[in-house]
Amino acid sequence: MSNRRRRKRPLTKEERRQKEKHVKRQLFKSMQQKEVLFFWLVMVALIGLSARVIYLSREKGTEYSKQVLAQQRYDSRTLPYKRGEILDANGTKLAYSEKVYNLILDANAITESRKEDALTETMGALGRCFDVDVAELTRYVNDNPNSQYYVVDKRLPYDQVAPFLEEKEENASITGVWFEEEYKRQYPGSTLASSVVGFTGTDNNGTYGLEEFYNATLNGSNGREYGYLSEESTLERTTIPAQDGNTLVTSIDVNLQSIIEKYMNQFAESHRGEYREGEDGVKNMGVIMMNPKTGEIMAMSDYPNFDLNNPKDLTPFLTESVISGMNDKETYDYLNKLWRNFCISDTYEPGSVAKALTISAGLDSGKLTGSETFFCGGKLTVSGHEIKCHNHSGHGMVDLSGALEKSCNVALMQIGEREGKDTLMEYLYNFNIGLKTNIDLSGEARTNTLVYDPEKMVASDLAISTFGQGYNVTMIQMASAFCSIINGGKYYEPHVVTEIRDSMGTTIKKIEPRILKQTISATTSDTMREYLTNVCEKGTGTTAVPAGYVIGGKTGTAEKQPRGTGNYVMSFMGFAPADDPQVVVYCVIDEPNVADQPHSTFAQEVVRQILTESLPYLHIYRTRELTEEEQSELEELNLLNASENEAAVDSEEGSDQTEETDDTLEENDNPEQQEEENAFAIDPDTGYAIDPDSGDLLRTDDFSPVDPTSSNLDGLIGVENDPSQTTDNTTGANPLAATSPVGDQNDSSGGQEKQGVGAGFAIGDDSISIEYNPDSLRGGNSESSDFGAGAGF
Amino acid sequence: MSQNRSRGRRRKKQPENFFDYTLLFVVLFLLVFGLIVLYSVSAYEANIKFQDGAYYLKKQLIATGFGLAIMVGAFLVDYHIWERLAVPAYVVSILSVLLILSPLGREYNGARRWLEVGSSGMSVQPAEIVKMGIIIFLAALITALGPGIARWKSIGLIAAVTLFPFALILFITRNLSSALIIGGIAFVMLFMADPNYKKYFVLLLVAAAVIVLLLLYVKGVGQKTGDFRFNRVLAWMNPEEYADDTSFQTLQGLYAIGSGDFFGKGLGESIQKMQLPEAQNDMVFSIICEELGVFGGLCVIALFGVLIYRCLLVANNAPDTFGALLVVGVMGHFSLQVILNIAVVTNTIPNTGVTLPFISYGGTSVVFLLAEIGLVLNVSLRTTVREQV
Repeated sequence: MSNRRRRKRPLTKEERRQKEKHVKRQLFKSMQQKEVLFFWLVMVALIGLSARVIYLSREKGTEYSKQVLAQQRYDSRTLPYKRGEILDANGTKLAYSEKVYNLILDANAITESRKEDALTETMGALGRCFDVDVAELTRYVNDNPNSQYYVVDKRLPYDQVAPFLEEKEENASITGVWFEEEYKRQYPGSTLASSVVGFTGTDNNGTYGLEEFYNATLNGSNGREYGYLSEESTLERTTIPAQDGNTLVTSIDVNLQSIIEKYMNQFAESHRGEYREGEDGVKNMGVIMMNPKTGEIMAMSDYPNFDLNNPKDLTPFLTESVISGMNDKETYDYLNKLWRNFCISDTYEPGSVAKALTISAGLDSGKLTGSETFFCGGKLTVSGHEIKCHNHSGHGMVDLSGALEKSCNVALMQIGEREGKDTLMEYLYNFNIGLKTNIDLSGEARTNTLVYDPEKMVASDLAISTFGQGYNVTMIQMASAFCSIINGGKYYEPHVVTEIRDSMGTTIKKIEPRILKQTISATTSDTMREYLTNVCEKGTGTTAVPAGYVIGGKTGTAEKQPRGTGNYVMSFMGFAPADDPQVVVYCVIDEPNVADQPHSTFAQEVVRQILTESLPYLHIYRTRELTEEEQSELEELNLLNASENEAAVDSEEGSDQTEETDDTLEENDNPEQQEEENAFAIDPDTGYAIDPDSGDLLRTDDFSPVDPTSSNLDGLIGVENDPSQTTDNTTGANPLAATSPVGDQNDSSGGQEKQGVGAGFAIGDDSISIEYNPDSLRGGNSESSDFGAGAGF
Repeated sequence: MSQNRSRGRRRKKQPENFFDYTLLFVVLFLLVFGLIVLYSVSAYEANIKFQDGAYYLKKQLIATGFGLAIMVGAFLVDYHIWERLAVPAYVVSILSVLLILSPLGREYNGARRWLEVGSSGMSVQPAEIVKMGIIIFLAALITALGPGIARWKSIGLIAAVTLFPFALILFITRNLSSALIIGGIAFVMLFMADPNYKKYFVLLLVAAAVIVLLLLYVKGVGQKTGDFRFNRVLAWMNPEEYADDTSFQTLQGLYAIGSGDFFGKGLGESIQKMQLPEAQNDMVFSIICEELGVFGGLCVIALFGVLIYRCLLVANNAPDTFGALLVVGVMGHFSLQVILNIAVVTNTIPNTGVTLPFISYGGTSVVFLLAEIGLVLNVSLRTTVREQV
């Protein structure tokens, strides 16, 4: 220090300047050095960063490239398709899919929200609109602030979602809640036709019935919404819309279906626990209602039905304690039994109904002429086995018709002997016994191993086969075979679906009636119809006849194996009207819960009730005068309408509305029918109804538009086999055979419609002579506008 | 050499003057390259937000044109005028920060960092003004201090005049990165001017030790606290764990760099620009790496290397201390921004919002960076050939 001070003094100005310049230069030089140092430091940093970039690319390149691609997925969204509907013949929905909403909570959006009250407001709205535990949800959001997808509730209907959306609209603080769309299968009829329709779970996979058989048709394909980068680097959103599934139109008629289910339940319930304690009224029961002219199933049901909206619910059938005591396998077995369709999946011995098959085989093959008579002594010994008739004292002498009427086993065994096993088996094969009918329902049983092999058949096998024992069938096989016996020999493939429509409602496929084969000749069919009518008129089937109608049919009572246990399958196959079968009803009751089972009257009673109610609905009119007793019975059922009950003409609507019955369906049914008839004006020239909107002519029976190029008389064909023409009973070849009581009733009020039908047919083809009664024509005009007016034409 | 020089003298009217064409070329190249990249990166988001893919490009073009005019102006005016205008420049830059508190201040993305200019919708970021203001003011101050710079009193003075705008930027605009850059510029300039080495290295060591201790502390606490800077540090250490929020941007940027391969997906082909929010701002370098590959990224780094090297040459040959200090400040500014930006993008340091000069979107930034380049060119113009040799 002192040294420096000493030096400073002697410095001259020049020296000082020099010195200052020197210091400055020194400073400048050090700065230059430091600049270079700084530069190198920067270079080192830049090189280090370059190395880092290279490292990232080389070491993490693959991993990060995958990440980049994986993230792209978030930009796409699946749009669910809507499964097609299942409609009945009138367009009533049996099954449809409804859009439902899953409630999703985005906790991240709530926690990130700028609004302070986002959580409380959102939770408040959720609590008001949905049945959720707000405290628990709040805890969830606080615990998982980054969660973006939490399913709070599933499958909410729109009317539950709508109030929340409204609230959200008004309150900007509500956030982090969105809804995911989905479809839910709905069955408005709940238990209606449950085994036929089947059900579909969340996965759009049908189980049982139509839902399973037409699974692929009903299903569509999912759509997709996704974004991509266009050439202009703009994000384009593209939506590939979902392809909704196709809709099925079935031949099932909800009204008829309700009728058969009502009477089945009535029967089963009335015998519940009657003999075998704690059991249902029947072990199994099935009813098929079929159109013999098309093979279309009009109604089909087994017992019991289950709720399609909740198919796994066993509470209607079992008590809580029983259900909780069942293990998984037992539950599953029970459910499978419940879900399967008895009418197509279960086999049984058909019993005496099969006698119709045996006799038609004999007539058609020429082995029988129709003039044979057989003696029944109550039993027959066949190769050492003594086989009894159900009437142990014997039926005495019976002809072919009598064999059917009395359901005589001994006569049938003799017939079988004449036919021989080959002929009988050939015809049974033709009737599709042992083969699948290929009905469009899932779960049809295979019966090929449950029928006799002609090669191995012995005489006693043949003998019991003739009356429907020893081989197994399904209900649908029997019903389809029987249809061919009475419809002129045409075997139609039974089917449920008549039309397939796309999601826009356009018909893409019409399923026409499909004739598979000619089982017997039309002539044989005529004879058979006559015999079968006799069964109901004077034989074993009289119980099944509904008041005012003439029907045909065949009873059946088959002893179940093991024989001798007192268990039977009772059945009745009926068709109406007898002269022009428009509907076949087949009822099978397996082990009714009664002490004394073998009475086919159980099944007959059910069929009679079903026919009594459904025939008027089908526009099939009574052809016979009602006794007072029958009249009062029908009045009780509210089944008399103005055209048949002249006393009620003036107050028809009033009586329909005021008469209280406990059957709601009927109330829907009859007034509707009349409403339709009243609402449409009738064209005086053609007798067709006039569409009030378009002025087009409509058919009065189903209100479909009249096609002027066709005669539209398919509903009327079949009158050619009118049994009212009296001919010799023995000439089986004559199509107009048999003495039918129908013909005697031309002048009765019930006969008028029938004559109307006859007159209507004459329009189409007047070369066939039909009894023409001017009185009945007048009656037709005034009371039954559809057929009667047709006659006027 | 001398022949070359004499021939050059004969051709040019002012032979002793030097003009740094290389620097100008590098800057123009970076500008054009930056605009192209900006368009590629921002078109996607601009389309969504403004239905105009060129929205950001247009704004940046306007700012670039304006910046070029300023650059030419700064180039034409003798830089010594700034020695006299240093105090007004300092005061104006500080006032601009204070103005943010007035109704002129504008908030964007939750941060109040901008000043509304008239009703044109244009806005200015005062932090960028301060960066230039501090360079001019410190250059003049250090020149005035002369050899006295080595005194602790001088160092304290410089620290004080730096800390004032530093604190303003930090607390008014809550912009740590800009504050750090201002502090960094001051530190670099002070370090250059003071012939002493020891104290700066000691200071650096102390700073490093503090940072390490702080990191250890953060790691020790481990859990999230309310402070977002705290979280950023944690996210930096474990980016995958914070992939959903704090390190989302960083991680997406890394994905971009990693998926680019060596030559990239091609200009405009980036996928990550759809994932990265505001990719045209801080993360633009990662998209460059994705579209142009490691090669493109290294080229950008090299261009900045050349730019800084040219600054070094100009500073080394500056006619006087003031000129040299101006260039040193600009050099420090560019170096810090480039290094910090690329370090953030490659997750070498925790996330701070530093933009990449000339390439990131930002009007104020480009205007003042060009003005600084204008100063450097002006200094280079006054470099006599004699001194360059």
